[in-house]
Amino acid sequence: MQRKRVHMLMLAGGLLGGLMMAVPVMAADPAPAAPSAADAEKAAKEKALAEAAAAAPADAAMLANTCAGCHGTNGVSAGPSMPSIAGMPAKYLEHMMAEFKSGKRPSTIMGRIAKGYTEEETKRIADFLSKTKWEPVKSGPNSLTATKIDEAKAKKGKKVLDSAKCGKCHEDDGVTQDEDTPRVAGQWLDYMLIKMQDFKNSQLTVPQPEKMQKAVEKLSPEELESAAHFYAGKK
Amino acid sequence: MMNFTRRGFVKLTGGLTALGLVSAPSLSAFASAKKRVVVVGGGYGGSVAAKYLRMADPNIQVTLIEKNKDYYSGPLSNWVVAGFRKLEVQKWGYEGLKKHGIEVVIDEVTAVDPAGKSVTTAGGKKFEYDRLILSPGIGFKALEGYDAEAVKKMPHAWIAGEQTTLLAKQLQELKDGDPFIMVAPPDPYRCPPGPYERASLVAHYLKKNKPKSKVIILDPKDKFSKMGLFTQGWKNLYGYETDKSLIEWIPGAQGGKVTRVDAKSMTVYTDMAEFKSSCINVIPPNKAGDIAEKAGLTDEKGFCPISFETFESTKQKNIHVIGDASAATGLPKSGYAANSEAKVCAAAVVALLNGKPVGIPSYVNTCYSLISPDYGISVAGVYKLHQGKILEISGGVSSDKAQDFIRKQEALYNESWYQSIMADTFG
Repeated sequence: MQRKRVHMLMLAGGLLGGLMMAVPVMAADPAPAAPSAADAEKAAKEKALAEAAAAAPADAAMLANTCAGCHGTNGVSAGPSMPSIAGMPAKYLEHMMAEFKSGKRPSTIMGRIAKGYTEEETKRIADFLSKTKWEPVKSGPNSLTATKIDEAKAKKGKKVLDSAKCGKCHEDDGVTQDEDTPRVAGQWLDYMLIKMQDFKNSQLTVPQPEKMQKAVEKLSPEELESAAHFYAGKK
Repeated sequence: MMNFTRRGFVKLTGGLTALGLVSAPSLSAFASAKKRVVVVGGGYGGSVAAKYLRMADPNIQVTLIEKNKDYYSGPLSNWVVAGFRKLEVQKWGYEGLKKHGIEVVIDEVTAVDPAGKSVTTAGGKKFEYDRLILSPGIGFKALEGYDAEAVKKMPHAWIAGEQTTLLAKQLQELKDGDPFIMVAPPDPYRCPPGPYERASLVAHYLKKNKPKSKVIILDPKDKFSKMGLFTQGWKNLYGYETDKSLIEWIPGAQGGKVTRVDAKSMTVYTDMAEFKSSCINVIPPNKAGDIAEKAGLTDEKGFCPISFETFESTKQKNIHVIGDASAATGLPKSGYAANSEAKVCAAAVVALLNGKPVGIPSYVNTCYSLISPDYGISVAGVYKLHQGKILEISGGVSSDKAQDFIRKQEALYNESWYQSIMADTFG
């Protein structure tokens, strides 16, 4: 595939060179190589990048530790808007990364990051994080922005998720996690509120399992918000 | 049930290993052979290196030497300058690192002896090492007129703390109608988008509080980090490129390079003009922190050439340099890159001390900037080492077509980024 692209570039370079030859002033120039030299450099750069991307992966800890700057040490996030990903199912993490990478799942920054990893690298990251220990999130000493859990909303939220049968997948009030269902109990409230807004944002299409999509469609933004308050308060 | 059995098995094997060790004759030899790593500088690089060394190999004895009792984060300190964040929440201590078994020493390293493998401190102590990791941050190159007195009158605020407070105070006291003058540094320097985030947030402050004033950026460069997104944001929010603009950027090509400053008359000079104000932010050209230069680790540009695999200096054996002081060509001089370099370095040091091959590195950068408190932009990169070069496999800046809600989300992520990376650094 990469070889093909290089050939295409060389071909384009050749055509461009040919065009320039047709210009009388340039015809005398014995070295119409200037533009194609730039093309060759670009092609070489692309080739090196493709080779680097496909080169042997680093080990799991080396790869996964780079996530900690945003998602916290071992995936335990200290930032209210960043999801904790410690102990999440590997399949779920891989699935999210694949959708970020393809662009199917909208994101602010994760798409740009996910594209940097091969399938094997993503798998290693997911495996590593799936084996770290989930810890209830807590604000750092200097945190200013965490939204407080509203007990009245949480109470309403419990009713909402019972009627919408959220517990069919998010079992045990969101504590349990399996292959493609993330743990939501004790997750950051702010993160979940952002996601709830995204679900209802007409400018975004957030891919969801069919059941989740149907449940979200039926619920109002306020109902989704209250469900988030309930799950965030559940440790 | 499954877990219980597994745990029981681990206990059993753990016990057997302990028995094996006791019966081995080399127990005392093992203890005395404990490897020592000294880390100098407890910021975004050094603290992370110390912590991840201990996480990967608790048999390594790690001493972190830092000259200040408290650390003030540079990232997000522009918010303090612009008056919508307290300096207090930028402050971090070293108690969390002690819990990892790191010996934390508050003292200043004044000399490095590469041959004797030791460092000495202002407090008169000597620390021996098997490997030394330096993460000293930045120092400043000479700029005519910018002496110790001038630093107090024309704060750089490029090392957070007192300097941040000083600049914030000058901005507060600025007379409506007078300009906020910023002298931007030449490449390479700490935090490439930092000066432009600062200009944005000062403009945000002026818009509300001193609408007759404006920010004048005097820049030796003709382009800068996240330039497209910054200028787009400035047009959206601050009337950029109109006659009412709150930001005026004078690039090098238009005489933006400052050649001399005079703190007495509060004036800065370019080849073509002079600029006066009661509020002048001078960010001089950067270099590696002084101790790196003293240890003979810097090149002609003032930074430390290193191996991209181990961050070991190419000038001195057994000394590694990470963070803004290193010349990690291909990576930006950002807090996140320092964090990433620290982890690559720590893993390499663990391997080297245990006589194992050094693994393949992986590096990441993620950096947010605010253009106003609810208008955030970012740059990210995933990097690999290939044929001796650090290459950006993917990444780039936020979309220039992002809707308002995306800008708002990125502003929220900015603060959360800070909380998580600080927990990763000091927790």
